[in-house]
Amino acid sequence: MKIVRRAALALGVAAFIAGVLRLRGSGGVPPQGGGWRELSGPDLR
Amino acid sequence: MRAVLVGAGAVGLRAARQLLSLTTVEELGVVDIDDVARDAGVASLGGPARAQIGEILELGDGDVLLLAAPCAQRQLAEQALDDGAHVVSTSDATDDVKALLDHDAEARERRRHVVVAAAFSPGFACVLAAHAVTRFDHVDEIHVAKVGTGGPACAHQRHRALGDAGADWYDGAWLRRRGSSGRALCWFPDPVRGVDCYRGSLPEPLLLEAAFPGVRRVTARVGANRRDRLTARLPMLRRPHPEGGLGALRVEVRGRRGSAHDEYVLGAVDRPAVAAGTVAALAAAWIGDGRLARHGAGGLAELVEPTPFLAALAERGVKAAVFEGSSREAPGGRLVEVPTGR
Repeated sequence: MKIVRRAALALGVAAFIAGVLRLRGSGGVPPQGGGWRELSGPDLR
Repeated sequence: MRAVLVGAGAVGLRAARQLLSLTTVEELGVVDIDDVARDAGVASLGGPARAQIGEILELGDGDVLLLAAPCAQRQLAEQALDDGAHVVSTSDATDDVKALLDHDAEARERRRHVVVAAAFSPGFACVLAAHAVTRFDHVDEIHVAKVGTGGPACAHQRHRALGDAGADWYDGAWLRRRGSSGRALCWFPDPVRGVDCYRGSLPEPLLLEAAFPGVRRVTARVGANRRDRLTARLPMLRRPHPEGGLGALRVEVRGRRGSAHDEYVLGAVDRPAVAAGTVAALAAAWIGDGRLARHGAGGLAELVEPTPFLAALAERGVKAAVFEGSSREAPGGRLVEVPTGR
């Protein structure tokens, strides 16, 4: 019985850590320079 | 032109209004399962609009059927082709896109157009990709990301897409990808800026791989927050906004120009329902003007000449932007740092 409880606890902790890792953080780094310019006249000819 | 609109929602009514202002429409039938929405739509459109009641669509030879509702797209497209009508669909559901693309041979034989996924993304995004491709001698990769939804049907579809597996085109084969996986920070035009985006059941790779056969990789992602990801496999917990909010899209194209590898990033910010309605209406108007590249079923990347189409969209207020600059990680060349494996 004790080993079952320990296994369940380990699974629970692993699931919690996996959930935190999945939900936290960010998917990359924003661009450090530059910006957006509207496509206009010469770009659309 | 005579047209029938199926779906008097956020996208459908905007498409109808744009169509009425783009070209001469002798008659515009409006169909919706919600009688109140249909009648209100007919009243707001005025002029040639009238309600179509009954299970059979009243379509004639050369008419345009505008599908802007989560309905049986395959059956309606089949009926339209049987009646000699053209089809423009705004659905971004992968199953709908596949079903409509299956009509390619029949539509070619009948010399009719089936414009698949003429919306914000796919649709506008496909035209941006086609425009970007013209800058390269050979295209290696196309990566699309989008944020935002149009009306409630679009929000429900986005929710389903995040929960379902999708497929990326990866080195010449379709690679199954789990929904809500593959987080990547995508940088959209202001004021949307950085949004974490994830894989899902998105049809952009299907359409873009067909349009650009030599391309090695095509991926698509959709912006989502933690609640979206946690609840993607559950029913929607909140009622979606009737008009959607501000949306954005981003299209990265990488390839070779001469011997140099380069990247070109295009984007847009708009209300997805507004942009989708304008794109669908313009596609329908171009059918009437005989300006589509070929008969048959396909996405806009295959069917329209991108630069004049973008210019026509810009005239109607749906504008695109280009990213110019470089990231700290790659100061010498590429415009935006992108994680490996996309």
